[in-house]
Amino acid sequence: MTNHAGRLYALAIGLVVFFLAWAVVAARPWVATADPRQKALVVRQVQLQREAKLVSQIVAQRAQLARVTRNRQLASAAAAPVAPVAAVRVVNLPPLTITRTS
Amino acid sequence: MINRRMFHAMGTEIELLVDADHAERSLDAAELEFHRLEALLSRFRDDSELSRLNRDGSIEPGRDLARVVELALEARDRTSGRFDPTVHNALVAAGYDRSFEQLPAEGETTPPPPAARGVWLRPGRIELEPGVQIDLGGIGKGYAAERAAELLALAGPCLVNAGGDIAIRGGSWPVGVEHITLQLDSGGLATSGRDRRRWQRGGRELHHLIDPATGEPSETDLLRVTVVAGDAVDAEVAAKSLFLAGSKRAAAEANAAGMPAVLVTEDGRTLLAGGLA
Repeated sequence: MTNHAGRLYALAIGLVVFFLAWAVVAARPWVATADPRQKALVVRQVQLQREAKLVSQIVAQRAQLARVTRNRQLASAAAAPVAPVAAVRVVNLPPLTITRTS
Repeated sequence: MINRRMFHAMGTEIELLVDADHAERSLDAAELEFHRLEALLSRFRDDSELSRLNRDGSIEPGRDLARVVELALEARDRTSGRFDPTVHNALVAAGYDRSFEQLPAEGETTPPPPAARGVWLRPGRIELEPGVQIDLGGIGKGYAAERAAELLALAGPCLVNAGGDIAIRGGSWPVGVEHITLQLDSGGLATSGRDRRRWQRGGRELHHLIDPATGEPSETDLLRVTVVAGDAVDAEVAAKSLFLAGSKRAAAEANAAGMPAVLVTEDGRTLLAGGLA
């Protein structure tokens, strides 16, 4: 009797263990979940990173060009003689001197 | 009280005006400055620095020659070559080979030399391309007027008139230009034209305003140009440049630059430009 009940318990436990193992194997936890939305996000992330790099390069090039242009403008402004403005007007006065062909 | 002194230098009549009671020493200094600069910058004096440069093709220049050459080269760039100190050989080829007072009424000309540009201003040295010689006549007079005005201004407000190239320091000065009077409070004024310094060669009338593009006396419809600018040197350069442009272009350029100018055409018309009209 005792042996009989023992066998039944052992059988039940064996079945439980078997089905649990079956469930675990069927779940294949060692295989990564291939969610298409996650895949799309990863692709988008890579694309954005590439575009960001490109934009950074363009911004740096334009900043460099602007710096060079600005420096040239400053240099030419510094080199150009600043002509003082001559103050002159036509008047009805007798001249103190006259100008003629030199 | 206005003190006036007149004397002859640089081939023209010089007039000094100064508004001061005791100005004799400043007048003396200003007059000496003209003679000093003439001795350095005249192409008609064999011993001048300029003649030595033209003869040797290279010189260690004094401060004044270096500065005037520098101003002339800047002017050449600024006027895109309308003002060019290397017209010396063209002037000589046209017959202007000695001081104007000694120029014979008639003589021969030689073909104008090709345009030359080789002038190098290096630190402490001026060098000319072989065959190139320079003339600093007009710009030298403007420079001398400015330097003399600086000395005269120590006595009081003054005006220096070097045969039409006028420099001012302080005061307000009425200057007769053609039939009008211009009141100058600052800056400089100069007149360039072909109604003086002209001569005959081979039955043809020539003058000293050489067009660097052709190497021959300019043939525009202008007789005289007077320009008001920041100083006498700039005015001299601008007057020559506008003269070579001809009346229409000169008026347009003076208007665009806001540079007061009086243009007299060969048919006797007087045009006011650059804000004077």
